[in-house]
Amino acid sequence: MAATFFGEVVKAPCRAGTEDEEEEEEGRRETPEDREVRQQLARKREVRLLRRQTKTSLEVSLLEKYPCSKFIIAIGNNAVAFLSSFVMNSGVWEEVGCAKLWNEWCRTTDTTHLSSTEAFCVFYHLKSNPLVFLCQCSCYVAEDQQYQWLEKVFGSCPRKNMQITILTCRHVTDYKTSESTGSLPSPFLRALKTQNFKDSACCPLLEQPNIVHDLPAAVLSYCQVWKIPAILYLCYTDVMKLDLITVEAFKPILSTRSLKGLVKNIPQSTEILKKLMTTNEIQSNIYT
Amino acid sequence: MASRYDRAITVFSPDGHLFQVEYAQEAVKKGSTAVGIRGTNIVVLGVEKKSVAKLQDERTVRKICALDDHVCMAFAVLTIFVGLTADARVVINRACVECQSHKLTVEDPVTVEYITRFIATLKQKYTQSNGRRPFGISALIVGFDDDGISRLYQTDPSGTYHAWKANAIGRSAKTVREFLEKNYTEDAIASDSEAIKLAIKALLEVVQSGGKNIELAIIRRNQPLKMFSAKEVELYVTEIEKEKEEAEKKKSKKSV
Repeated sequence: MAATFFGEVVKAPCRAGTEDEEEEEEGRRETPEDREVRQQLARKREVRLLRRQTKTSLEVSLLEKYPCSKFIIAIGNNAVAFLSSFVMNSGVWEEVGCAKLWNEWCRTTDTTHLSSTEAFCVFYHLKSNPLVFLCQCSCYVAEDQQYQWLEKVFGSCPRKNMQITILTCRHVTDYKTSESTGSLPSPFLRALKTQNFKDSACCPLLEQPNIVHDLPAAVLSYCQVWKIPAILYLCYTDVMKLDLITVEAFKPILSTRSLKGLVKNIPQSTEILKKLMTTNEIQSNIYT
Repeated sequence: MASRYDRAITVFSPDGHLFQVEYAQEAVKKGSTAVGIRGTNIVVLGVEKKSVAKLQDERTVRKICALDDHVCMAFAVLTIFVGLTADARVVINRACVECQSHKLTVEDPVTVEYITRFIATLKQKYTQSNGRRPFGISALIVGFDDDGISRLYQTDPSGTYHAWKANAIGRSAKTVREFLEKNYTEDAIASDSEAIKLAIKALLEVVQSGGKNIELAIIRRNQPLKMFSAKEVELYVTEIEKEKEEAEKKKSKKSV
């Protein structure tokens, strides 16, 4: 890559045609040291699924061990806050296990002690109906870890008689449209569903050429391949940190079949949400 | 294609965008919401106050500032900047100096339009120079001119400025602007207290914790600028809530 005089970034053409060949030869000469380093890195980046009480690893995948008919996954802090205030306080949820992982985006270096505020990916089931599962994922799962996460949670041969709902957020500047971003009514919801999902979504479907990224995309692709009915609700917002208006944009989902029966007291939930906002406010002086 | 043309400010993309300027407008959206209303005899500026850290001195976190304050003639130009705090401080300093320089040279205080044009020209210069980046701020500038007419102007990082009857900038500005479009009527701005209530109502649409996080300032014609204390804002908020309750009672009576 090189910058021209006018600031345009272009890929510099290479006239040394033999450069690629030389690189390949060097790559083949791998020392035992390199192998050791690579193995250590792979071990560090391993996704581990732990049982709640004993903190030991699960031998089989989560959904092979526990049967499930409904699975709601929240990815990102706004989606997690929505489920915390509207769904988790309307019933008694029991923690079943958690997924621990490390990658370059993790803020904490110590992966051995999980406190409740730092828990990366926690799985719960409803005490009154243990077939209903919930996952609160507030960490970033890197590309090489997504497949491991899916295997550890869904297993290699998942049951088809369950329904998956995924909630996540994305910045509105990622939304490709012919309108200007200033005129978009952010935050707004878009949905994307697998072929086997027969119900209707409570918001418009995601238009082309927009795509879904990261873990939500991995889960949806997995469900499409294994013919599991799944729907993703994506909230495009201009505030990626924890924000009341963004979380409230998920409210239309409360009336869908995915969350029916799981939400009881909406005004109380709104109060809990407001409290969550004030306790989580991190002040930045950069922006006035 | 954006990634090839957005590294330098002085480069147009093939379809005519200045991406750095558009990205600067995103920086404005990171600031807290501010609303400005131009009434017949009053101008109102309101802003969402972020909660201050425990050990931070609250007085140094002022958002609404007077660019020019003529105590004897009771004219003033009030402004609020939303976006990068440091950029706002630099622009405010330059604008204050310009106000005084104008008074020395011409012996008249600046008009609201003059100082707005000065700020907008300054911002535009920074979108056309090599090695500089645009200011990541939008401003709402209010005041009364010599002729006694109230003015409200808004500038943005590209250096454009326009006069408005009511406007909002910052986070969720669109929601607040839509609220203002629905509720800004001649009646609403005819009386001073109604204009103040409209500003507070507009902010309450997006402010997360109610009246105690709203900073408000007004200028009435021929009177000096007035900053509201938290108590005074609370009084208005309780009045608004009472009116809302009464309106809802009436609605339920009608439906019965």
